[in-house]
Amino acid sequence: MIARRWRDREADGQILLRDVTVRYGRQTALDTVSGEFPTGSLTAVVGANGAGKSTLLAAIAGTVRLARGTISCAARHRLAYLPQLAAIDSEFPLSVKELIMLGAWREFGAFQAPRAEVHSRALAAAETVGLAQRLDRSIQELSRGELQRALFARLMLQEASVILLDEPFAAVDAPTAAALIEHMTRWHQEGRTVIAVLHDLDLVRARFPATLMLAQRCVAWGPTGAVLSGMAG
Amino acid sequence: MMSFYALVIEPFATLAFMRGALVACLALALVNGVVGTLLVIRRMSLDGDVLGHAVMPGAAVGFLYAGPAPTWLSAGGLVSGLAVAALAGLVARGRYRQDAGLVAFYLIALSSGVVLVAWRGSNVDLMRVLFGTILAIDRSALLQIAAVASAVILASAALYRALAVGAFDPGFFRTIGVRAPYGLIFQALVVLTLVAGFQAFGTLLAVGPLLLPATAARCWGLGVAASMALAIVFGLVASAAGLLISYHGNVPSGPAIILVAALPFGISFLAAALRQRVPAWG
Repeated sequence: MIARRWRDREADGQILLRDVTVRYGRQTALDTVSGEFPTGSLTAVVGANGAGKSTLLAAIAGTVRLARGTISCAARHRLAYLPQLAAIDSEFPLSVKELIMLGAWREFGAFQAPRAEVHSRALAAAETVGLAQRLDRSIQELSRGELQRALFARLMLQEASVILLDEPFAAVDAPTAAALIEHMTRWHQEGRTVIAVLHDLDLVRARFPATLMLAQRCVAWGPTGAVLSGMAG
Repeated sequence: MMSFYALVIEPFATLAFMRGALVACLALALVNGVVGTLLVIRRMSLDGDVLGHAVMPGAAVGFLYAGPAPTWLSAGGLVSGLAVAALAGLVARGRYRQDAGLVAFYLIALSSGVVLVAWRGSNVDLMRVLFGTILAIDRSALLQIAAVASAVILASAALYRALAVGAFDPGFFRTIGVRAPYGLIFQALVVLTLVAGFQAFGTLLAVGPLLLPATAARCWGLGVAASMALAIVFGLVASAAGLLISYHGNVPSGPAIILVAALPFGISFLAAALRQRVPAWG
């Protein structure tokens, strides 16, 4: 049902990068990266630490400025972005339900109360990620894996046509990772564009049709088998 | 041995300046509890400190223009506080971290304020601007404090949800296309709160009643609303007790109130440490 609601107002999930360059001070984090994420594609972004993987997602999300180049994305304000857990203040006094309902922020904004429909969607999303029993808990009481599940539930409420995941399975236990990978696969099947920064190359080979390898510049971008050929798992 | 009446009630019952000081402190405790808690959960304690001193040069210009008139001191303080908040925001867009920019502004603002006041005024004037004149709050100053406090509390209530979300996950609004400058609006609310407080506590100490009760309340691991309420209670008790200590012991009122406010802070911190739950204040 969630998938149908999303298709009703489907936005084009294509993302075009042209000479995308990002600098932090004098240091170049991303250097003239060009290419296309087609609508409905599922792409892994891989590379060493400091290769610019997170910077690329932040650039697409619009949270860092480009020094050069352009990113065209029709769904610019309909994208959902999962930051690294470290970017989230997990000591913040917020309940799990409040966190999940933030996904529907654009429907109620700063001043209105969320409608009953938002509450039921939050409950459904919490059930999907296995947090239905913890809705009224403070996020301070959650483990890292549970916090990541809650953030996935927030993504579900966003109904976005582009979903950006920054190391979504780092620091979560194996059952949680398996459950979250299933959600990611479902988003792909629903025709959403999904881009995930990952370190686990076995997972990339098993689940991601396309891969972008970064080392500040674009090293390789295409079908996963071709990009990762010759690399040890 | 003094009776309870002589100790606690009589100073306020018989002396108008003590009553004025108490009412001002109560109004400030309310707004400080709300804004201070938001500052602490947004991990912006340092910003509060810096903005407190940023009020100084503007207040000094107000003083040069009109002498120690509360309206001009406040108006000047408001302008320079907002200017420093905006400048620090600009600096933060560059490659420097915002806290380094804030500290630079804090030192410049404090020094230039002291130079300006000392240039035309006496040492007494300087002490007034730095440490406040809580026992000399007149009716118009009281009304000003109450009006600013009320406005800031109402604005914080209206914007509470947006301010909280911006603190929790700073990138979230940008990714969903919300462009309202909630960070700047919040800094303006902090400056207004400090302007209300600086007539009573001075530019050096106004940040004390803003941060101490709120930091103490955060130690108890409560939700935001309960934390605000506890900060207000701490602020109210510290104000009344500090005024009485200053009256009976003949010590300066502002510092006395802040020292009393340090008491719940110490107790809360120890309690949190014993429960192994020292929060991050940042």
